[in-house]
Amino acid sequence: MLSQAFLVQVAASGAAVAALVGLAAWARIARPLNPLDDATARFYLGEEFPGCPIERLWVATDGAGALARSGASALVLCRLGDAYVARQIPWAQAMAAAFRNGQITLDLADVAAPRAVITLPAWPPADLAA
Amino acid sequence: MTSPAFDPVTLATPFFILTVILEIGLGRLNKVKANYETKDTAVSLLMGLGSTIAGVMIAGVSFAASLWVYQHRLFNIPMTAIWAWAAVFLLEDLTYYGFHRLSHERRIWWAAHVNHHSSTHYNLSTALRQTWTGGIAGTWALWLPLSLLGFPPAMVAIEKGISLVYQYWIHTEAIRRLPRWFEAVFNTPSHHRVHHARNPRYLDRNYAGILIVWDRLFGSFQPELDAEPCRYGIVKNLGTFNIFRVAFHEWIAIGLDLVRQPRHALGWLFGPPGWSPDGSRETSAAIKARWEAGQTAPEQTKARAA
Repeated sequence: MLSQAFLVQVAASGAAVAALVGLAAWARIARPLNPLDDATARFYLGEEFPGCPIERLWVATDGAGALARSGASALVLCRLGDAYVARQIPWAQAMAAAFRNGQITLDLADVAAPRAVITLPAWPPADLAA
Repeated sequence: MTSPAFDPVTLATPFFILTVILEIGLGRLNKVKANYETKDTAVSLLMGLGSTIAGVMIAGVSFAASLWVYQHRLFNIPMTAIWAWAAVFLLEDLTYYGFHRLSHERRIWWAAHVNHHSSTHYNLSTALRQTWTGGIAGTWALWLPLSLLGFPPAMVAIEKGISLVYQYWIHTEAIRRLPRWFEAVFNTPSHHRVHHARNPRYLDRNYAGILIVWDRLFGSFQPELDAEPCRYGIVKNLGTFNIFRVAFHEWIAIGLDLVRQPRHALGWLFGPPGWSPDGSRETSAAIKARWEAGQTAPEQTKARAA
């Protein structure tokens, strides 16, 4: 059984956590992160997937993500907080992704990064759609 | 004497809170380099809180085990002798080095440790981003030989606490470099930034707790290079702030791998993180090798990728 003193300690720690998170939100000192453009998306993808040549690149209209084709793979970049998360999935999986309300939702098949949502004008691209 | 006389971590908790406030305040005033993202901070601090609760759950088992081992000790080491404290300091720090290296190099223990590395930030809140599953992973058993030698379990527990408190303040970008003699002997913010970096050059380096000399001795030391700023996080950064995914993702991934290919269970559990039977995934060693090949022969790397 947990003692009452321990429960008080946990409650006080919880309050301290809430106060510190509030302070961090107030301070607004996250990393500055400009919306992606073609060049920055290529830079990040190059860093994450060295040696994977990019054949086509689609940058999200809100600059919060990008999707690239590299052979049989899709290279996915999406914003989380003030950083970008990258994953590589089969190209066919990207092509089959659901497109609703101007966004594609990509199933990344990864418990640590279940899905990526990227805002695009249309998907799949007209010239690639079968 | 077998029960801890005091707990350095509990005593240091107000110091933890005050220094996070200080780092955020100085960051806000642009006096030091400090980046805090709200959700990332929340996850780090909640992982710390959860770790405290999980620690209490397992503390009885680990302390009972150390007491049992102590009953079969080889020597009687007095808790009042200065030499005994010097010895436990060195041996505990060496044990920590071994534990930490194991936690990075074998997937089952990486599953418990990865949480501490999954923030893309490096600030004092990252120090508090601690595991919920360390007790289950059983790494506490690595400290049992100290009790077998004859160090009272309370002494070992205090020394572990001192090590944890020491390692707190080095999780910051606010301090660039310390005097050369200090950087040569002790783990510092600069050395530990390297440890938290995901740049191929920096992967699996600087495992030290308090003394960086262990890394120098065992060949795992890498100085921070001004020309190569640290990029923090893990090889495949998390795509979620869901705290349960943060806490358990690698355990779940191991479970899925075991279900898919049970005959490779040993590899999935005790291989290095990134190991796979068909080599379709990348270990740190493979990432470093690819990076080194790219450094020396970029044309070959391009040809291989084509």
